[in-house]
Amino acid sequence: MITRRDFMVSGITATGVGIIVPPVFAKSVFAATMEDVHNDHVLVILQLGGGNDGLNTAVPFADPAYLQSRPTIGIPADKVLPLNGAIGLNPVMPGIKKLFDAGELALVQGVGYPNPVYSHFEGLYIWEHADPTMQQTEGWLGRVLASQLDAQGHPLTGCALGQASTPAELLAQNATVSVIDSVPAYQVQGGAGRRVAAPALYKRTPGIYGALFDQALSTAEYGIAALADSQTRYTPSVTYTPQSTVYGSKNSLATSLQLTAEMIVTQPSVKICHVVLGGFDTHQDEDARQNALLAYVDSAVSAFMQDIANHGMADRVVLMTWSEFGRRVAENGGKGTDHGAAAPVFVVGKPVKGGVFGEQPSLTSTVDSGNLKYNVDFRSVYQTLIRDWLQADPTSVLGATFPELPIIQTA
Amino acid sequence: MLKLPGMRGANPKLSRRQVLGIAAGGVAGAVGFRYLTMQLPGGSPAVASAAGAGGAWTSPLGTPAGLAAHLLRRATFGYTAAELDAAALMSYTDLVDMVVSQEPQPLPQVADPTSYQAVVRAWYGHMATTTAQFPERMTLFWHGLLTSDYRKAARLPLVLQQNELYRTSGRGDFRTLINAVTFDPLMIRYLDLEESTAAAPNENYSRELMELFTLGVGNYTETDVREGARAFSGIRTDLVDASGSRIQPPRVKGSTPAAYTQALDQLLAQGATFKGILARNQHDAGAKTFLGHSGNLDPAQALDIILSQPACAPHIARSALVQFCTPDPSPQLINSVATQFRSSNYDIKTLMRAVFTNEAFTTPSAFRSLVRGPAEFMVATMRALNRPGLAATCVQSGAGMDQILYDMPTVAGWPSNQGWVSSGAWLARLNFAAGAVAGQHSLPDPIDAVHTQLDGVVGPDTAAVFNASMSDTDRWYALLASPEFQLK
Repeated sequence: MITRRDFMVSGITATGVGIIVPPVFAKSVFAATMEDVHNDHVLVILQLGGGNDGLNTAVPFADPAYLQSRPTIGIPADKVLPLNGAIGLNPVMPGIKKLFDAGELALVQGVGYPNPVYSHFEGLYIWEHADPTMQQTEGWLGRVLASQLDAQGHPLTGCALGQASTPAELLAQNATVSVIDSVPAYQVQGGAGRRVAAPALYKRTPGIYGALFDQALSTAEYGIAALADSQTRYTPSVTYTPQSTVYGSKNSLATSLQLTAEMIVTQPSVKICHVVLGGFDTHQDEDARQNALLAYVDSAVSAFMQDIANHGMADRVVLMTWSEFGRRVAENGGKGTDHGAAAPVFVVGKPVKGGVFGEQPSLTSTVDSGNLKYNVDFRSVYQTLIRDWLQADPTSVLGATFPELPIIQTA
Repeated sequence: MLKLPGMRGANPKLSRRQVLGIAAGGVAGAVGFRYLTMQLPGGSPAVASAAGAGGAWTSPLGTPAGLAAHLLRRATFGYTAAELDAAALMSYTDLVDMVVSQEPQPLPQVADPTSYQAVVRAWYGHMATTTAQFPERMTLFWHGLLTSDYRKAARLPLVLQQNELYRTSGRGDFRTLINAVTFDPLMIRYLDLEESTAAAPNENYSRELMELFTLGVGNYTETDVREGARAFSGIRTDLVDASGSRIQPPRVKGSTPAAYTQALDQLLAQGATFKGILARNQHDAGAKTFLGHSGNLDPAQALDIILSQPACAPHIARSALVQFCTPDPSPQLINSVATQFRSSNYDIKTLMRAVFTNEAFTTPSAFRSLVRGPAEFMVATMRALNRPGLAATCVQSGAGMDQILYDMPTVAGWPSNQGWVSSGAWLARLNFAAGAVAGQHSLPDPIDAVHTQLDGVVGPDTAAVFNASMSDTDRWYALLASPEFQLK
């Protein structure tokens, strides 16, 4: 087990070819007690990749412009699961509706950013870095981790689960992230000799990538030991439905969330977990595709929240969803929708103050010929979660202040 | 005491010695390069680390032989000792010319062309075995830039068809390539062109074509996206017979996979092919204003307008530089390469020659300044071990390293360089190396491989693990799992 990560500092010198690879600074000994962590709160991020259509997720059913804009894929008012007199959930989301009824869902409407660009890449970059000017090079959660939650560089403070690469939100020079695709794969395979040789190959790697490589291996080595321990101490209390048939999704969200529950229940140092479900870029056949994806989100998130509650940890966990953009108000000719702008964000958990927040953007007074105007800057959501949930300082991370949202219960 | 382990035997591997001798021959400022010849107890040969000053690698690029190995690591998927020897004897410019002039070899027959996994397995095998390495590397490059997703092929052999397109057209001129891509049946489905009509033009292709394939964000407006969608409306896919006449594809609905495949195979055997066409009755032939040009624009004209934009050549040049030259190319470098590309009327060989011959490529500090992508790493492993049979495992193994061919995370393609690095992805690489050497009793000489594959330049950890290894299997594991082998 790694107790000291003595990364090479000198190996990161400029090489004269203009390379910018963040150096990973040598970090001090990781202490078993998390000295600078002052609470046991966990934030789970669920990314809906591809641009989820907000209007068919939280449906403004009372507005006649909705069905007029969507004659074939619109959801009629008598089908939605109403949250109030104007907004209702897509009927494939009864589990989320139940959470709303229990006061554990904050639906924040009309979330977006100024001057939307409608590009996947830019939308992702802006949300991941919390910076509409796209100058920031570190992810917003990476900055929270590095500056406030993880000064000791604990390998499990930030976890990306059910994926093979580090999500950009968690990337920062001084943030350590465990990227665990699946438990069986997160091993050194090939026998005892390999388990000794593999980490030994990555202690003092020269060159511009040296520290990055060495950190990946030392993080893995620590995580492998932690998982071996976790597996003996966690049993899922509910049945997660692994589903691989959802059109276009790149991974199994339920399995990722089950692993997330395992990490939270067994590893006290876990603070931020990231899971993702792709396939929301519904330019065509949106009704079938988005419904399948949202139904899967509904069952997986419901199982996860129930599992966490059954383990007596409901007070510790808040989950937030996001997507790089919402979609155009009017449907296109292929029973789909094109790239749009503002969309709702879901914040779920027992510590959440339930309700509908923000204002539903007008479907008729739009920007750029048919896109929703945002009413809530996405950084308001981030700021609220950093300050009220993680109990850290949002201003140093976001570089500005935004209107606060009353979506977290105060004790 | 001074006998070089890599030099034993009667065969004078002189050029390889040149590769090794480079640093010993005196790269300016390099320190610490030694190829020690200690014999450890038990007769195990040892290698010594060769890290340079300040934690940098000792660069062998100051010599022709070191430069040859550097080029082959980037322009190809790896090399045998014999190929490196031959390359090291050529002048660098001749070598670059030879590499970029290679003609592709066709993919061997794929048993089930409707299975993307079968196609990808065949492609991995071809990458590992073809002597026309550069065209295969370019096929992968274009796949990473002009992206696709196997799901959209359904049960049609469209993945294979696009793969063949990038192989045959990936080194000609970009105008021809991007026109062919616009009418490629898999692309037509992937970016929803087949749904796009004059009445309801779908914006997906128009946007991604400009944002990701040719111009980059900021070089077009939302109006251009919409006007472009009109210009690209009406593109459809036909199944045509050998004479070019349209024929009916077999029905998927109500058919079993076996019956469907048989019916399709029969048509394909008779010379049928899938072909993108412009259906005039679905195409918006009206006046448009696109990127400042007005007219009744059709797809070819819209593409010509895109290629006339000053942002086009730099966008592609940057992508090629990041994959083949330097992780963070300077604006000057991008402009220099782009200018050569544009003035050659988008000749891809000219582009790649410019990438391989500029100073940022050949400067000593370019040594190991790029990270091999997962496919590159796996194919390089197969080539180093001469085990193309591992291709059967690459589809599965690539997933853990975050690269599944024809299954992109997004339309923007895969990450590059440091973006490939994560704790889980690195375990997947190490585990692929473990599987590659497991149970192998007739491995090539690992000491030779330290010379050919790693230029004899290894860091202290790799040297220590290699030297502590008790078998060639373990030595090969150390080599393939090492940080050195992940770099190019």
